[in-house]
Amino acid sequence: MILKAWDKSMNFAEEKPLKSLIKIRPRKSAKIIRIAGGKNARLILGQLGIGVGSEVKVLRNAPFAGPILLENSGTSVAIGRGIAAKIIVEEI
Amino acid sequence: MKIGLIGQPNAGKSTLFNSVAGYKSATSNLPGTTVNYTKSKVRINGDVFEIIDFPGTYSLSATNDAEAEVRNYLIESHFDLIIDVIDASQMGRSLPLTLELMELNFPLIVVLNMFDEAQRKGIEIDTGKLSEILGIPVQTTIASKNIGVKELFLTAKSLIKKQHPGKAKKILCQRDVEEVIEELEQYLNRNYTRKTDYPSRFLAIKLLEDDDYFLKIVSSGNGVKISKKVAELQKKMVKLRGKPQDSVLAMERHAIAMDIYDQVVKIGSPRRDWREKLDNIVMHKVFGYLILVSVLVAFFYIIFVLGSFVEDFLLSGFDILDAWLASQMNPSGFVFQFVKSFIWGISGGIAIVLPYLIPFLIGLTILEDIGYLPRVAYLMDAFMHRIGLHGTSIIPAVLGYGCNVPAVMATRILTSRRDKIISAVISSMIPCSARSIVIFGLVAHYLGPMWAFAIYVLNIFVIALTGKILSALMPEVSPGMVMEVPSYRLPSYTVVKKKTWFRIKEFVVVAWPILIIGSIVLGLLEYFQVDQLINQALSPLTLLLGLPIVVGTTLIFGVLRKELSLIMLTQALGTTQVLTVMSTNQILTFTIFITFYIPCVATMAVLSRELDRKWMLTTVGITLGIATVLSWVTKLLGNVFG
Repeated sequence: MILKAWDKSMNFAEEKPLKSLIKIRPRKSAKIIRIAGGKNARLILGQLGIGVGSEVKVLRNAPFAGPILLENSGTSVAIGRGIAAKIIVEEI
Repeated sequence: MKIGLIGQPNAGKSTLFNSVAGYKSATSNLPGTTVNYTKSKVRINGDVFEIIDFPGTYSLSATNDAEAEVRNYLIESHFDLIIDVIDASQMGRSLPLTLELMELNFPLIVVLNMFDEAQRKGIEIDTGKLSEILGIPVQTTIASKNIGVKELFLTAKSLIKKQHPGKAKKILCQRDVEEVIEELEQYLNRNYTRKTDYPSRFLAIKLLEDDDYFLKIVSSGNGVKISKKVAELQKKMVKLRGKPQDSVLAMERHAIAMDIYDQVVKIGSPRRDWREKLDNIVMHKVFGYLILVSVLVAFFYIIFVLGSFVEDFLLSGFDILDAWLASQMNPSGFVFQFVKSFIWGISGGIAIVLPYLIPFLIGLTILEDIGYLPRVAYLMDAFMHRIGLHGTSIIPAVLGYGCNVPAVMATRILTSRRDKIISAVISSMIPCSARSIVIFGLVAHYLGPMWAFAIYVLNIFVIALTGKILSALMPEVSPGMVMEVPSYRLPSYTVVKKKTWFRIKEFVVVAWPILIIGSIVLGLLEYFQVDQLINQALSPLTLLLGLPIVVGTTLIFGVLRKELSLIMLTQALGTTQVLTVMSTNQILTFTIFITFYIPCVATMAVLSRELDRKWMLTTVGITLGIATVLSWVTKLLGNVFG
């Protein structure tokens, strides 16, 4: 049962337009669907509580290919553009 | 009683440690300040505790060298008690580490530090309930003001002496995942027979997380069978959650943490103040950079004005003393040489080094403690990418302005070895406080503060170029920055005072004696005229750079401590009125050489340790080459433009 419910929610997620985190404008929130980076990137993000399913708010999206500043459960986290590009989200 | 202080970066472990042990561990509002352990024996209410301050770690899954070391040391050395220090205003994020620590079955206390900060943010924590859920004592402290610290250690004592019932409860994951963990745990209990320091449930969790370190340990034991079982169960978990195996359990812990958080925390309306507004300007795409430049200019300018004023005042005093001595003794006699050298060593420390060092360190401490540096990392990330690194590398670099030794050690927070190498090499090229003193004492003093500032700018430019060349030689995609940006904190007066003193003490106790001895050695060399041999040997270099031949010895002494070159210079020249014997062009050439050439002995040692001998020697070679070329060009330009 659980398995099925999960599959369903996954399919549902696939239908929504998915974007990379760097495409999210400041003050918008997004839910993380997938992290395409390597294991280490996922671990580092996971330590800060950022992972698949997290809802994050973009505070700043710096110019000149600078990092993205996120808010995740009360903590501000700066994420380099390279990693942010691999975080696939849906806007909420 | 052996107690370990563990917690996430920037939770205030070192502040707590210092509040009981006196100032022994560097603190700042900068994740990753502590990269090595500090131990101290302290007596509280008549009991002796051995306390170990750990570097900050977000979790027990190591993502960099610093974290790997924490985990191994934590598990392998047997602690009587672990204190898990949590930033109370960041409790949700901090609890996953607590959950991991609970799996280790050590006696454990949770400390909610910076409780005032949480209250300011409108976060109300029901500590009783938290303690009930976790099954372990929960204490609140404001370590920077020494509040709650004594009570904490009383609880620690009663827990160690088993007078306290606290024992970590088993906190379970959701049932589907929990079943997988239990299956592996039981499997391990049956099939993994080697004795380990790790509780089987902890081991099971780490294996399911695909943790390379533990996978290696287990497969080197009774091998293939277990690895197969682990892979099978991992697959099952991936199916259950639709996430990569390495993030299922981390996110599970995060979910549990958020659940606990919701149960014990009430969020009122935060008291809004300057902190929230400030970032809009400080991290602004235009103003942010303007502020960065202004902060740096103001920083160096203030140090110069203060230092210069005091230096002039004190030097004139020592000049009078010198003249008086010369009138009392035979100026060419051995005794006079000896006494004069000794006084020169003393006056160098008091009149030349300290006037700049004290304001420099106070300023650096304030910048660190306010929390400005992570903002600098944010602003500089794009720039660092252009030289093949990323924002996190700015931290070792900035620490380098204080001293290169902790800077090189701080490169442990970087994930990839290549980033670590490049950062360590460029960090050792940053003008540390000792080199800054040469820049202030010579260039700013004789040529004006703008010239000194120009040297810093030139230095940044050279470092950027070196970084770019090194990363071109080691092409590899840098993993990128993930860094917490902590909220601003007003630096506490006592902490700034203690921290500055902690760093000045390092100069007084370690460097000053070297300065005095060096000064006497140079005096003796001069007396027996051995210095001429050294100067002769170095004359190809000094002549090439158009410097007086007598400065040769100072370059050698500078390798020991960079300040030494400055103090030796006045001694080698025989006067503190440098301008009477050196032209401004020579002063500039000399300072540029000193700023860029070979890192000091201590930095070389730490480079060998953190990287290897080969990289240490490479750094020496690179810096020597850069210094020679730059100062030679300075000389030529000086000749052209007068």
